[in-house]
Amino acid sequence: MATKEELLQLLKDGVINYNEEQVKEASNTWLEDKHTALEGIMDGLAAGMEVVGELYEKHEYFVPEVLMCADALYAGLAILRPHVPKSDSGAVAQVVIGSIQGDVHDIGKNLVKMMFDVAGWQVHDLGRDVPLESFVETQLRTDAEVVAISAMMTTTMLGMKKIIKMIKEKNPNVGIMLGGAPVTKDVANLFGADGYAESAGNAVSEGIKMIARLREMQKK
Amino acid sequence: MAPLTLTPKERVMRTFRREPIDTMAFFSGMGMVVMPAIRKLGYRFSQVHKDAEKMARSAIESSRMFGFDSVVIPFDMTMESEAIGNTISLYENSKDILYPTIPQKMWLTMDQVNIPSNIMELGRLPLLPKAIGIIKKEAPELPIGVWQLGPFTQAGQVLELDILLKGVFKEKAKVEATLDKLTEMCITIGQALQAAGADYITLREMGTGTDLLSPRTWKDVIQPRMRKILASWKSPKVLHICGATDMIIEMMADCGADAVSVDIKNNLLETRKKLGDRVPIFGNFDVFALPCKEETTVEQAVAAIKKNIDGGVDAVWPGCDLWPDIKEANMRAIVQTAREYGSKPSACVGRL
Repeated sequence: MATKEELLQLLKDGVINYNEEQVKEASNTWLEDKHTALEGIMDGLAAGMEVVGELYEKHEYFVPEVLMCADALYAGLAILRPHVPKSDSGAVAQVVIGSIQGDVHDIGKNLVKMMFDVAGWQVHDLGRDVPLESFVETQLRTDAEVVAISAMMTTTMLGMKKIIKMIKEKNPNVGIMLGGAPVTKDVANLFGADGYAESAGNAVSEGIKMIARLREMQKK
Repeated sequence: MAPLTLTPKERVMRTFRREPIDTMAFFSGMGMVVMPAIRKLGYRFSQVHKDAEKMARSAIESSRMFGFDSVVIPFDMTMESEAIGNTISLYENSKDILYPTIPQKMWLTMDQVNIPSNIMELGRLPLLPKAIGIIKKEAPELPIGVWQLGPFTQAGQVLELDILLKGVFKEKAKVEATLDKLTEMCITIGQALQAAGADYITLREMGTGTDLLSPRTWKDVIQPRMRKILASWKSPKVLHICGATDMIIEMMADCGADAVSVDIKNNLLETRKKLGDRVPIFGNFDVFALPCKEETTVEQAVAAIKKNIDGGVDAVWPGCDLWPDIKEANMRAIVQTAREYGSKPSACVGRL
């Protein structure tokens, strides 16, 4: 029988080596052995994704590898997440996320979504090609703390500015994250956003830093 | 500034042949249609994609209004996917400038990919030879640039891209077969556009920079197909890749293109060092910050173009599609700077 540490290592390695079967098996054993699901998510799956982020930054992994790691992570999350008691998950925060109207690309958006899923946020995924007003309406309806908007093209990026203006006018405390190839720090500042990620991969490393911070916070 | 002695077409074609020119060309191989021209003609943005006459006239007017050295068609990336059978969104009711997109793709797996042999007769593709004919007649002084998406980037228009990205590892044979089919389509359409009279062609394998794919995957999966496509097309031909290209620029230069084009993520000075005068370099000019951004002054745009020229480009060429809603003063200043500051020879192209 594997020890708790060994199981965590299997979860972590399964994500790093994009081995979905290993992750599924280790997740099931983890639950059978009565370990807490949240610990498996944070110290197994998320810890593995943190290494994936490092490998991406070192140019050892690229987006195809990261996508496969994400699949492995989701395979584990599907098993473990239902066993996280609401009071443990810290699901006090909500995010509205989507690719802006005119953009039908969603790889970066989905990777960022994964980070929120891991962190236990309630995710309102509007999909892609989302009309500007839908971001505003959904934020108002859900009172989400964060709105994350993705655009792959300069042509669609300019719509972000309008969304931010509309949201901030009604609710200045909402955090706005922008992402996508044409989005630079300068653009994010100019549009009044609170954070940005310039590519799917960058979204991964930014998101992973977010998870790392969350893991640190949970350990305190 | 010395008087211009060459026509735009002569300037561009001589740039490709690496023959001396009067001053640096301002041109592109990607979208270069601008709203002031579309408005002047009384069109809406959504109308210029589906009518040969409107497409040709808005391309010509964009160039003449701002002194660009070429015209480029088409403007959107969905023509092939639509010809195959997908439905496009034209956003005809949107107040914003939105390019057509493919909201839903009919093929869900790589096995379903099947390119019709008469692709040039389908969808809006027949508009392109017509538009080329109109431009040739109406604006003989302007060279006509056309482009094709590379097979990997085109795959993202006909399939969900993550299928292909993950497939590179999990189902390599299927990915290779899919890319081969799209490579043949790209060759066929490019040859048809050249036969219709296009003066130069750009292969835009945009989605394969190293922010997505590893240099190893690029060499293994992308480069052989770039070589095949470029070998099948007549010169002049350009290879463009968006995003991070520093790690693959030498491989890009080794694909048989007459010039390579990069966007703002490329370290231009390093690229010029690596390539020397082996091949002309275009691009690396910020298509949002310089001509469009509300806060960018004319002086800032001029300074950035001077930096672009000093960085080693052989033509001032936008690093991607020029965003249509340009600020007119900035755009004119950018072209003017190419003319004036580009009067000295570049690495690959001398001056008369």
